[in-house]
Amino acid sequence: MGRLSTALLAGVALVATGGAVLAHHSFAMFDQDHPMDLQGTVTEFKFTSPHTFILLEVKGTDGSSTVWNLEGASPSALVREGWASKTLKAGDELKMTIDPLRSGAPGGSWSEKKTNFSSGQPIVTH
Amino acid sequence: MIGVVLRIGTISFAAVLVLAGAAAGASDEATYPDIGGTWVRPGAAQWDPTKPAGLRQQAPLTAEYQRIFEANLATTAAGGQEYNPQINCMPAGMPRVMIAYDPLEFIVTPAVTYIRSDHLAQFRRIYTDGRPWPEEITPSFVGYSIGRWVDRGADGRYGALEVETRGLKGPRSLDASGLPLHADNQTLVMERIFLDGANRNLLHDRVTTIDHAYSRPWTITRSYNRDPAPVWVENNCGADNHYVSIGPETYFISADGYLMPTKKNQTEPGLKDFDPPSR
Repeated sequence: MGRLSTALLAGVALVATGGAVLAHHSFAMFDQDHPMDLQGTVTEFKFTSPHTFILLEVKGTDGSSTVWNLEGASPSALVREGWASKTLKAGDELKMTIDPLRSGAPGGSWSEKKTNFSSGQPIVTH
Repeated sequence: MIGVVLRIGTISFAAVLVLAGAAAGASDEATYPDIGGTWVRPGAAQWDPTKPAGLRQQAPLTAEYQRIFEANLATTAAGGQEYNPQINCMPAGMPRVMIAYDPLEFIVTPAVTYIRSDHLAQFRRIYTDGRPWPEEITPSFVGYSIGRWVDRGADGRYGALEVETRGLKGPRSLDASGLPLHADNQTLVMERIFLDGANRNLLHDRVTTIDHAYSRPWTITRSYNRDPAPVWVENNCGADNHYVSIGPETYFISADGYLMPTKKNQTEPGLKDFDPPSR
Protein backbone atom coordinates (compact mmCIF):
# COMPACT_ATOMS: atom_id res chain seq x y z
CA MET A 1 0.00 0.00 0.00
CA GLY A 2 1.34 3.42 -0.90
CA ARG A 3 2.42 5.98 1.66
CA LEU A 4 -0.65 8.15 1.10
CA SER A 5 -3.19 5.40 1.57
CA THR A 6 -1.36 3.91 4.53
CA ALA A 7 -1.17 7.22 6.34
CA LEU A 8 -4.71 8.14 5.46
CA LEU A 9 -6.29 4.89 6.51
CA ALA A 10 -4.33 4.94 9.73
CA GLY A 11 -5.76 8.39 10.36
CA VAL A 12 -9.25 7.21 9.56
CA ALA A 13 -8.93 4.34 12.00
CA LEU A 14 -7.67 6.71 14.68
CA VAL A 15 -10.57 9.09 14.18
CA ALA A 16 -13.21 6.42 13.81
CA THR A 17 -12.35 4.98 17.19
CA GLY A 18 -12.02 8.36 18.81
CA GLY A 19 -15.65 9.44 18.81
CA ALA A 20 -19.09 9.13 17.36
CA VAL A 21 -19.26 8.84 13.62
CA LEU A 22 -21.06 11.79 12.12
CA ALA A 23 -24.06 11.10 9.93
CA HIS A 24 -25.87 13.44 7.54
CA HIS A 25 -26.87 15.32 10.63
CA SER A 26 -24.85 15.34 13.79
CA PHE A 27 -26.16 13.36 16.74
CA ALA A 28 -25.57 16.39 18.95
CA MET A 29 -29.10 16.36 20.28
CA PHE A 30 -28.40 12.98 21.86
CA ASP A 31 -26.38 12.95 25.06
CA GLN A 32 -23.54 10.56 24.30
CA ASP A 33 -21.94 11.25 27.67
CA HIS A 34 -24.91 9.86 29.58
CA PRO A 35 -26.15 6.70 27.87
CA MET A 36 -29.06 4.88 29.46
CA ASP A 37 -30.35 1.32 29.40
CA LEU A 38 -33.82 0.58 28.11
CA GLN A 39 -35.72 -2.67 28.08
CA GLY A 40 -39.04 -2.89 26.34
CA THR A 41 -41.21 -4.09 23.50
CA VAL A 42 -40.90 -3.04 19.88
CA THR A 43 -44.13 -1.41 18.69
CA GLU A 44 -42.70 -0.57 15.25
CA PHE A 45 -39.44 -0.91 13.36
CA LYS A 46 -39.22 1.76 10.69
CA PHE A 47 -36.63 0.82 8.07
CA THR A 48 -36.97 4.24 6.50
CA SER A 49 -34.76 6.94 5.11
CA PRO A 50 -32.93 8.99 5.98
CA HIS A 51 -32.62 7.05 9.26
CA THR A 52 -34.18 3.99 10.80
CA PHE A 53 -36.32 4.16 13.93
CA ILE A 54 -37.24 1.74 16.66
CA LEU A 55 -40.36 2.61 18.62
CA LEU A 56 -39.91 0.90 21.96
CA GLU A 57 -42.61 0.68 24.61
CA VAL A 58 -41.00 0.83 28.04
CA LYS A 59 -42.96 0.12 31.19
CA GLY A 60 -42.25 2.20 34.28
CA THR A 61 -42.17 0.95 37.82
CA ASP A 62 -45.55 2.60 38.41
CA GLY A 63 -47.15 0.55 35.65
CA SER A 64 -47.29 3.38 33.12
CA SER A 65 -45.73 2.93 29.73
CA THR A 66 -43.89 5.29 27.41
CA VAL A 67 -43.07 4.78 23.78
CA TRP A 68 -39.54 5.92 23.04
CA ASN A 69 -38.68 7.12 19.53
CA LEU A 70 -35.16 5.91 18.83
CA GLU A 71 -33.17 6.94 15.78
CA GLY A 72 -30.58 4.62 14.27
CA ALA A 73 -28.28 4.41 11.29
CA SER A 74 -29.48 4.73 7.72
CA PRO A 75 -30.95 1.67 6.03
CA SER A 76 -27.96 1.67 3.69
CA ALA A 77 -25.55 1.41 6.61
CA LEU A 78 -27.61 -1.22 8.42
CA VAL A 79 -27.86 -3.39 5.31
CA ARG A 80 -24.08 -3.57 5.35
CA GLU A 81 -24.31 -4.85 8.92
CA GLY A 82 -26.71 -7.61 7.91
CA TRP A 83 -29.95 -5.92 8.87
CA ALA A 84 -33.13 -5.79 6.77
CA SER A 85 -36.56 -4.30 7.07
CA LYS A 86 -37.93 -7.44 8.77
CA THR A 87 -35.05 -7.96 11.17
CA LEU A 88 -37.25 -6.65 13.96
CA LYS A 89 -41.00 -6.90 14.29
CA ALA A 90 -43.63 -5.59 16.65
CA GLY A 91 -43.60 -7.58 19.86
CA ASP A 92 -39.86 -8.25 19.94
CA GLU A 93 -38.39 -7.72 23.38
CA LEU A 94 -35.18 -5.69 23.34
CA LYS A 95 -32.51 -4.60 25.73
CA MET A 96 -30.67 -1.53 24.52
CA THR A 97 -28.18 1.09 25.61
CA ILE A 98 -29.23 4.34 24.00
CA ASP A 99 -28.08 7.95 23.98
CA PRO A 100 -31.10 9.96 25.17
CA LEU A 101 -32.27 13.35 23.95
CA ARG A 102 -30.59 16.11 25.94
CA SER A 103 -34.00 17.59 26.65
CA GLY A 104 -35.11 14.55 28.64
CA ALA A 105 -38.00 13.81 26.26
CA PRO A 106 -38.53 10.15 25.37
CA GLY A 107 -36.31 9.99 22.34
CA GLY A 108 -32.76 8.99 21.62
CA SER A 109 -30.39 7.24 19.28
CA TRP A 110 -29.75 3.54 19.09
CA SER A 111 -26.83 1.54 17.77
CA GLU A 112 -26.94 -1.98 16.39
CA LYS A 113 -23.83 -2.70 18.44
CA LYS A 114 -25.64 -1.90 21.70
CA THR A 115 -28.94 -3.62 20.96
CA ASN A 116 -29.84 -7.23 21.75
CA PHE A 117 -32.92 -9.27 22.34
CA SER A 118 -33.88 -9.23 26.03
CA SER A 119 -32.77 -12.86 26.21
CA GLY A 120 -29.26 -11.69 25.44
CA GLN A 121 -29.33 -13.16 21.95
CA PRO A 122 -27.78 -10.86 19.32
CA ILE A 123 -30.14 -9.40 16.72
CA VAL A 124 -27.96 -10.30 13.77
CA THR A 125 -25.35 -13.02 13.74
CA HIS A 126 -22.56 -12.78 11.23
CA MET B 1 -12.13 40.91 1.30
CA ILE B 2 -11.39 42.42 -2.10
CA GLY B 3 -7.98 40.77 -2.08
CA VAL B 4 -9.63 37.46 -1.42
CA VAL B 5 -12.03 37.99 -4.28
CA LEU B 6 -9.18 38.72 -6.63
CA ARG B 7 -7.28 35.67 -5.44
CA ILE B 8 -10.20 33.38 -6.14
CA GLY B 9 -10.72 35.03 -9.49
CA THR B 10 -7.10 34.48 -10.41
CA ILE B 11 -7.16 30.82 -9.46
CA SER B 12 -10.35 30.32 -11.36
CA PHE B 13 -9.00 32.05 -14.46
CA ALA B 14 -5.91 29.88 -14.41
CA ALA B 15 -8.09 26.83 -14.13
CA VAL B 16 -10.15 28.00 -17.09
CA LEU B 17 -7.06 28.21 -19.21
CA VAL B 18 -5.99 24.74 -18.24
CA LEU B 19 -9.39 23.19 -18.71
CA ALA B 20 -10.10 25.00 -21.97
CA GLY B 21 -6.99 23.46 -23.43
CA ALA B 22 -8.01 20.01 -22.46
CA ALA B 23 -10.00 18.55 -25.26
CA ALA B 24 -10.43 15.26 -23.47
CA GLY B 25 -11.67 13.52 -26.52
CA ALA B 26 -10.57 10.05 -25.64
CA SER B 27 -13.12 7.63 -26.94
CA ASP B 28 -11.58 4.33 -25.94
CA GLU B 29 -12.91 3.23 -22.57
CA ALA B 30 -9.76 1.18 -22.03
CA THR B 31 -7.92 4.44 -21.66
CA TYR B 32 -9.76 5.38 -18.48
CA PRO B 33 -8.76 4.24 -15.01
CA ASP B 34 -10.99 1.60 -13.51
CA ILE B 35 -13.00 3.93 -11.30
CA GLY B 36 -16.45 2.92 -12.50
CA GLY B 37 -18.68 1.24 -9.96
CA THR B 38 -19.45 1.65 -6.30
CA TRP B 39 -17.28 3.28 -3.69
CA VAL B 40 -17.86 3.27 0.06
CA ARG B 41 -16.63 5.68 2.72
CA PRO B 42 -14.48 3.75 5.20
CA GLY B 43 -15.76 5.51 8.30
CA ALA B 44 -15.10 9.07 9.31
CA ALA B 45 -17.55 11.72 8.09
CA GLN B 46 -15.91 14.89 9.31
CA TRP B 47 -14.56 16.96 6.44
CA ASP B 48 -10.87 16.13 6.91
CA PRO B 49 -11.08 12.42 7.71
CA THR B 50 -7.59 12.36 9.18
CA LYS B 51 -8.46 14.75 12.03
CA PRO B 52 -11.16 14.72 14.69
CA ALA B 53 -14.25 16.84 14.09
CA GLY B 54 -14.54 20.36 15.44
CA LEU B 55 -11.70 22.76 16.16
CA ARG B 56 -9.12 20.01 15.72
CA GLN B 57 -9.93 20.06 12.00
CA GLN B 58 -7.68 23.15 12.03
CA ALA B 59 -9.75 24.71 9.28
CA PRO B 60 -8.06 27.84 7.86
CA LEU B 61 -11.13 30.00 8.42
CA THR B 62 -11.14 33.78 8.32
CA ALA B 63 -11.66 35.44 11.70
CA GLU B 64 -15.29 36.17 10.84
CA TYR B 65 -16.07 32.60 9.87
CA GLN B 66 -14.05 31.15 12.73
CA ARG B 67 -16.51 32.96 15.02
CA ILE B 68 -19.40 31.50 13.03
CA PHE B 69 -17.89 28.01 13.31
CA GLU B 70 -17.39 28.36 17.05
CA ALA B 71 -21.00 29.51 17.40
CA ASN B 72 -22.05 26.42 15.44
CA LEU B 73 -20.01 24.22 17.77
CA ALA B 74 -21.69 25.86 20.77
CA THR B 75 -25.07 25.16 19.20
CA THR B 76 -23.99 21.55 18.69
CA ALA B 77 -22.91 21.24 22.32
CA ALA B 78 -26.36 22.41 23.39
CA GLY B 79 -28.02 19.81 21.20
CA GLY B 80 -28.95 21.93 18.20
CA GLN B 81 -27.79 22.02 14.62
CA GLU B 82 -29.81 24.69 12.93
CA TYR B 83 -26.71 25.57 10.92
CA ASN B 84 -26.80 22.20 9.16
CA PRO B 85 -28.96 22.34 6.00
CA GLN B 86 -29.12 18.56 5.79
CA ILE B 87 -31.18 18.38 8.97
CA ASN B 88 -34.11 19.49 6.80
CA CYS B 89 -33.21 17.23 3.89
CA MET B 90 -31.39 19.88 1.93
CA PRO B 91 -28.75 18.26 -0.29
CA ALA B 92 -25.15 18.38 0.84
CA GLY B 93 -23.95 19.94 -2.39
CA MET B 94 -20.33 20.36 -3.33
CA PRO B 95 -17.95 19.54 -1.93
CA ARG B 96 -19.75 17.85 0.99
CA VAL B 97 -21.44 15.26 -1.23
CA MET B 98 -17.99 13.68 -1.61
CA ILE B 99 -18.10 12.67 2.06
CA ALA B 100 -20.24 9.80 0.72
CA TYR B 101 -22.75 9.34 3.52
CA ASP B 102 -24.13 6.61 1.28
CA PRO B 103 -21.96 4.89 -1.33
CA LEU B 104 -21.02 6.79 -4.47
CA GLU B 105 -21.52 5.28 -7.90
CA PHE B 106 -19.11 6.41 -10.61
CA ILE B 107 -20.23 6.02 -14.22
CA VAL B 108 -17.50 6.87 -16.72
CA THR B 109 -18.29 7.74 -20.32
CA PRO B 110 -16.06 9.55 -22.82
CA ALA B 111 -18.04 12.79 -22.63
CA VAL B 112 -19.24 12.81 -19.04
CA THR B 113 -18.33 11.15 -15.78
CA TYR B 114 -21.35 10.84 -13.55
CA ILE B 115 -21.19 10.53 -9.78
CA ARG B 116 -24.41 9.35 -8.27
CA SER B 117 -25.28 9.46 -4.58
CA ASP B 118 -28.50 7.99 -3.24
CA HIS B 119 -28.01 10.13 -0.20
CA LEU B 120 -30.30 13.11 -0.61
CA ALA B 121 -30.63 12.27 -4.32
CA GLN B 122 -27.54 14.03 -5.58
CA PHE B 123 -26.14 13.57 -9.05
CA ARG B 124 -22.95 15.10 -10.40
CA ARG B 125 -22.10 15.50 -14.07
CA ILE B 126 -18.44 16.12 -14.83
CA TYR B 127 -18.13 17.13 -18.45
CA THR B 128 -14.99 15.83 -20.15
CA ASP B 129 -15.94 16.65 -23.73
CA GLY B 130 -13.74 19.73 -23.92
CA ARG B 131 -16.57 22.20 -23.66
CA PRO B 132 -15.85 25.75 -22.49
CA TRP B 133 -17.49 27.21 -19.41
CA PRO B 134 -20.98 28.47 -20.19
CA GLU B 135 -21.42 32.23 -20.08
CA GLU B 136 -24.02 31.86 -17.38
CA ILE B 137 -24.46 29.03 -14.93
CA THR B 138 -27.71 28.52 -13.09
CA PRO B 139 -26.52 27.92 -9.54
CA SER B 140 -27.12 24.48 -8.08
CA PHE B 141 -26.06 22.53 -5.00
CA VAL B 142 -23.66 20.25 -6.89
CA GLY B 143 -22.60 23.00 -9.28
CA TYR B 144 -21.29 22.77 -12.80
CA SER B 145 -18.22 20.61 -13.25
CA ILE B 146 -15.70 20.41 -16.07
CA GLY B 147 -12.98 17.79 -15.93
CA ARG B 148 -10.09 16.51 -17.89
CA TRP B 149 -8.28 13.21 -17.88
CA VAL B 150 -4.57 13.52 -17.15
CA ASP B 151 -1.39 11.56 -16.53
CA ARG B 152 -1.65 8.97 -19.27
CA GLY B 153 0.70 6.15 -18.42
CA ALA B 154 2.75 3.74 -20.47
CA ASP B 155 -0.20 1.35 -20.45
CA GLY B 156 -2.30 3.93 -22.28
CA ARG B 157 -4.61 4.59 -19.35
CA TYR B 158 -5.14 7.98 -17.83
CA GLY B 159 -4.04 8.23 -14.23
CA ALA B 160 -6.45 10.80 -12.84
CA LEU B 161 -9.48 12.97 -13.44
CA GLU B 162 -9.02 16.63 -12.57
CA VAL B 163 -12.20 18.58 -11.99
CA GLU B 164 -13.20 22.17 -11.38
CA THR B 165 -16.66 22.92 -10.02
CA ARG B 166 -18.31 26.31 -9.85
CA GLY B 167 -21.82 27.76 -10.02
CA LEU B 168 -22.83 26.66 -6.54
CA LYS B 169 -25.70 27.78 -4.38
CA GLY B 170 -26.43 27.49 -0.69
CA PRO B 171 -27.01 26.94 2.03
CA ARG B 172 -24.16 24.45 2.30
CA SER B 173 -21.64 23.48 4.94
CA LEU B 174 -18.61 21.21 4.78
CA ASP B 175 -19.82 18.69 7.34
CA ALA B 176 -22.30 18.08 10.12
CA SER B 177 -20.14 19.80 12.75
CA GLY B 178 -20.93 23.16 11.18
CA LEU B 179 -17.78 23.95 9.20
CA PRO B 180 -19.18 26.89 7.26
CA LEU B 181 -18.96 28.01 3.68
CA HIS B 182 -19.33 31.67 2.79
CA ALA B 183 -22.82 33.01 2.30
CA ASP B 184 -21.80 34.53 -1.06
CA ASN B 185 -21.70 31.00 -2.55
CA GLN B 186 -18.67 31.80 -4.70
CA THR B 187 -17.06 28.52 -3.72
CA LEU B 188 -14.74 26.90 -6.23
CA VAL B 189 -13.85 23.26 -5.82
CA MET B 190 -10.83 21.65 -7.47
CA GLU B 191 -10.49 17.87 -7.36
CA ARG B 192 -8.06 15.21 -8.41
CA ILE B 193 -9.66 11.77 -8.48
CA PHE B 194 -7.31 8.82 -8.78
CA LEU B 195 -6.81 5.21 -7.83
CA ASP B 196 -4.27 4.37 -5.16
CA GLY B 197 -0.95 3.39 -6.67
CA ALA B 198 -0.68 0.18 -4.66
CA ASN B 199 -4.31 -0.73 -4.07
CA ARG B 200 -6.61 -0.51 -7.08
CA ASN B 201 -9.62 -1.01 -4.82
CA LEU B 202 -8.93 2.26 -3.06
CA LEU B 203 -9.99 5.55 -4.64
CA HIS B 204 -8.79 8.98 -3.57
CA ASP B 205 -10.34 12.38 -4.15
CA ARG B 206 -8.00 15.21 -3.30
CA VAL B 207 -10.35 18.14 -2.79
CA THR B 208 -9.30 21.78 -2.65
CA THR B 209 -11.97 24.19 -1.48
CA ILE B 210 -11.53 27.84 -2.39
CA ASP B 211 -14.06 29.93 -0.54
CA HIS B 212 -14.23 33.38 0.99
CA ALA B 213 -14.85 31.86 4.43
CA TYR B 214 -11.28 30.53 4.31
CA SER B 215 -8.03 32.49 4.31
CA ARG B 216 -6.43 30.13 1.82
CA PRO B 217 -7.39 27.14 -0.34
CA TRP B 218 -7.99 24.14 1.91
CA THR B 219 -6.96 20.74 0.58
CA ILE B 220 -7.98 17.46 2.12
CA THR B 221 -8.15 13.92 0.73
CA ARG B 222 -11.16 11.68 1.00
CA SER B 223 -10.85 8.00 0.15
CA TYR B 224 -13.25 5.21 -0.70
CA ASN B 225 -13.15 1.43 -0.76
CA ARG B 226 -14.47 -0.35 -3.83
CA ASP B 227 -17.65 -2.35 -3.21
CA PRO B 228 -17.70 -5.21 -5.73
CA ALA B 229 -21.21 -6.33 -4.74
CA PRO B 230 -23.19 -3.23 -3.91
CA VAL B 231 -26.64 -3.30 -2.41
CA TRP B 232 -28.51 -0.13 -3.24
CA VAL B 233 -31.00 1.16 -0.73
CA GLU B 234 -33.26 4.03 -1.73
CA ASN B 235 -32.73 7.10 0.41
CA ASN B 236 -35.44 9.75 0.15
CA CYS B 237 -34.86 12.04 3.07
CA GLY B 238 -38.40 13.37 3.05
CA ALA B 239 -39.82 9.90 3.57
CA ASP B 240 -39.40 9.90 7.33
CA ASN B 241 -37.31 12.82 8.51
CA HIS B 242 -37.99 13.39 12.19
CA TYR B 243 -36.58 16.90 12.46
CA VAL B 244 -38.63 20.06 12.14
CA SER B 245 -37.08 23.50 12.09
CA ILE B 246 -39.31 26.37 13.12
CA GLY B 247 -37.74 29.79 13.31
CA PRO B 248 -34.35 29.47 14.97
CA GLU B 249 -35.08 26.12 16.62
CA THR B 250 -35.12 22.48 15.57
CA TYR B 251 -37.44 19.94 17.18
CA PHE B 252 -37.69 16.14 17.13
CA ILE B 253 -40.92 14.34 16.31
CA SER B 254 -42.11 11.95 19.01
CA ALA B 255 -43.42 8.43 18.57
CA ASP B 256 -46.98 9.76 18.49
CA GLY B 257 -46.24 12.56 16.05
CA TYR B 258 -45.81 15.57 18.32
CA LEU B 259 -42.87 17.94 18.60
CA MET B 260 -40.34 17.16 21.30
CA PRO B 261 -37.52 19.46 22.44
CA THR B 262 -33.98 18.50 21.52
CA LYS B 263 -32.28 20.84 23.98
CA LYS B 264 -32.70 21.41 27.68
CA ASN B 265 -35.10 24.27 28.41
CA GLN B 266 -35.90 24.68 24.71
CA THR B 267 -38.83 27.01 24.14
CA GLU B 268 -41.89 25.77 22.33
CA PRO B 269 -42.53 27.16 18.85
CA GLY B 270 -44.61 30.30 18.62
CA LEU B 271 -48.26 29.62 17.88
CA LYS B 272 -49.54 33.20 17.71
CA ASP B 273 -51.54 32.60 14.55
CA PHE B 274 -53.39 29.59 15.98
CA ASP B 275 -56.53 29.65 18.05
CA PRO B 276 -55.93 28.56 21.63
CA PRO B 277 -56.98 24.99 22.37
CA SER B 278 -60.66 24.65 23.31
CA ARG B 279 -61.28 23.82 26.93
